Amino acid sequence: MSQTAQIEQTSQPSAQSRKRRKTWNKVKAAIEGYLYLTPTLIILAIFVYIPIFTSFRLSLTRIAPFGNQTIFVGIGNYARLFADPDYLNSLKVTLMFTLVVVPVGIILAVLLAIALSYPVRHLSWFHRLLIFVPIVISTAVTGVLFRWIYHPVVGYLNYGLSLVGIDGPNWLSSKDWALFAVAFAVVWRGLGFNVIIALAGIQNIDATYYEAAKVDGANMWQRIRNITLPLLSPTLFFLLIINVINTLQVFGEINILTEGGPGGATNTMLYSIYYDAFVGTPFRGYASAQAYLLFIVILIISFIQFRILGKRVHYQ
Amino acid sequence: MSTTTTRNNKSWFRRNLGEISLQVILISIGLFVALPIIIAILTSFKLPNDVTNYPPTLIPKIWTFENYVTAWTSKPFGRFFLNSVIQTGVIVFFQVIFSIMAAYAFSILEFPGRDMLFYVIVASLMVPFQLTFIPNFILISQLGWANTYMGLTVPFLASAFGVFLLRQFFLTIPKDLHDSARIDGAGNWRFLWQILVPLSKGGISAFAIFSFLAAWSQYLWPLIITNEENMRTIQIGIRFFLFDQERGADWGAIMAAAVIALLPTLLIFLIAQRQLVKGIAMTGLKG
Repeated sequence: MSQTAQIEQTSQPSAQSRKRRKTWNKVKAAIEGYLYLTPTLIILAIFVYIPIFTSFRLSLTRIAPFGNQTIFVGIGNYARLFADPDYLNSLKVTLMFTLVVVPVGIILAVLLAIALSYPVRHLSWFHRLLIFVPIVISTAVTGVLFRWIYHPVVGYLNYGLSLVGIDGPNWLSSKDWALFAVAFAVVWRGLGFNVIIALAGIQNIDATYYEAAKVDGANMWQRIRNITLPLLSPTLFFLLIINVINTLQVFGEINILTEGGPGGATNTMLYSIYYDAFVGTPFRGYASAQAYLLFIVILIISFIQFRILGKRVHYQ
Repeated sequence: MSTTTTRNNKSWFRRNLGEISLQVILISIGLFVALPIIIAILTSFKLPNDVTNYPPTLIPKIWTFENYVTAWTSKPFGRFFLNSVIQTGVIVFFQVIFSIMAAYAFSILEFPGRDMLFYVIVASLMVPFQLTFIPNFILISQLGWANTYMGLTVPFLASAFGVFLLRQFFLTIPKDLHDSARIDGAGNWRFLWQILVPLSKGGISAFAIFSFLAAWSQYLWPLIITNEENMRTIQIGIRFFLFDQERGADWGAIMAAAVIALLPTLLIFLIAQRQLVKGIAMTGLKG
């Protein structure tokens, strides 16, 4: 369109009008480009970018005890958080939860990926089907399925344990076990995703390394230790970061399995935000302050990922 | 005769020992991983007294649809399902359309500030949902959109992930194609929908699958933005059904409800497993 217009233009020469025409075409192209972006930009602006600021403003306020008066409290909410035993507990719970979910999830995924990476003549689609399937299960359904498995009386887990002579606890109402029970459900739901990433990493490793190692007489364990794991380290690092971030955002399983209980044993940072903002009397300023702290944690982790992964790619 | 057969069998067995043991290991791991789903499906077909029998068994003694009838009639699961279909349908439709448009601008069109805007959009992937959901809840409530389809869908009509993913696909299309289409008199809009989109079907359907899974599985947002039973999505519906039922402990019906909720995603998984796996391996994102 613009080219034909330009060709026509040259037949009636006038340097000035040609120049004007060219600028006009540029302006038109720019307007067109922005129009294509408008829907996405509007939605993201209203529901992602502006809330970054609204959230911060909210975190500096609280609602007066009587009436709907909003009071500006400065960093009051933040100061209060670090004296709040419930919040300090949620930090501890989040740390423990992450320290269980992330290493267990990654180790299981890498083992499974190694097993799946061996060439099998038959049924490899079937193995993958079974191992990947939790990817499509929602957090709510995961919660419901595991609530049944953890059932203290007729649950499959405690029945299975009783077969080997262990008297299983009441997983979800035990202060010692609830966190692990929720963590296991979360590991299960994340497994397929982690296996896919790990498997892609393993399949990227050049087969000649393994052949050379075989010639040198390295056994399977030595090959895994000295070839697979070191060459997989960028993938492992990526998995580490993404799993930490995902674990900080776990909500559905906690809401359905324990509702943050018993006695705050599974009250993670995110669950505490939800609880303060939406359960009982809403303390949205206080919850927003917590949301901001969690955001900063996630931002720092993303930044570390960016720096280190960026470097690795650069030096490879 | 018989001895040679045994010897042959033995050597066959020995030759394939590696393969056989690997098969056994992989199948048992796989079954173990899929066990929670298998248990749910089998439980949903048991008779109520069979469900709570001790010791628990896997296979139903008598297969029955009774639990599905109980679940479907004791709560408006038809309505929940419909709500989820509408919510997911609207989100997927607009995410796909809007992402195609933005990805087109970022990959084919040229205008000032283009790359900067692309980074602005991709950077939104770093903003976690827990930072935005309180202000968004307040905004949607003030608009009077709580308990409406608008409230369930509008905040999710655009997807930075979709823009990112589709841009990658569009960049693989040779630029000459665009130039020659322009010379033939096709405007950008026509070129996009009549040439580029049909050529990028694979990428677009992969994104649509991710978008579908994420929308269907949404939990936190529908939980806070709906409090009328009629507007619950299926995910929220099973949550309240579970908490209602637990006193009566009708686990068969609860599992039937869970199976209803997971069925659409399971079907998508069975149909599009390959695309899904490829998409995850390629982007490292779940959508």
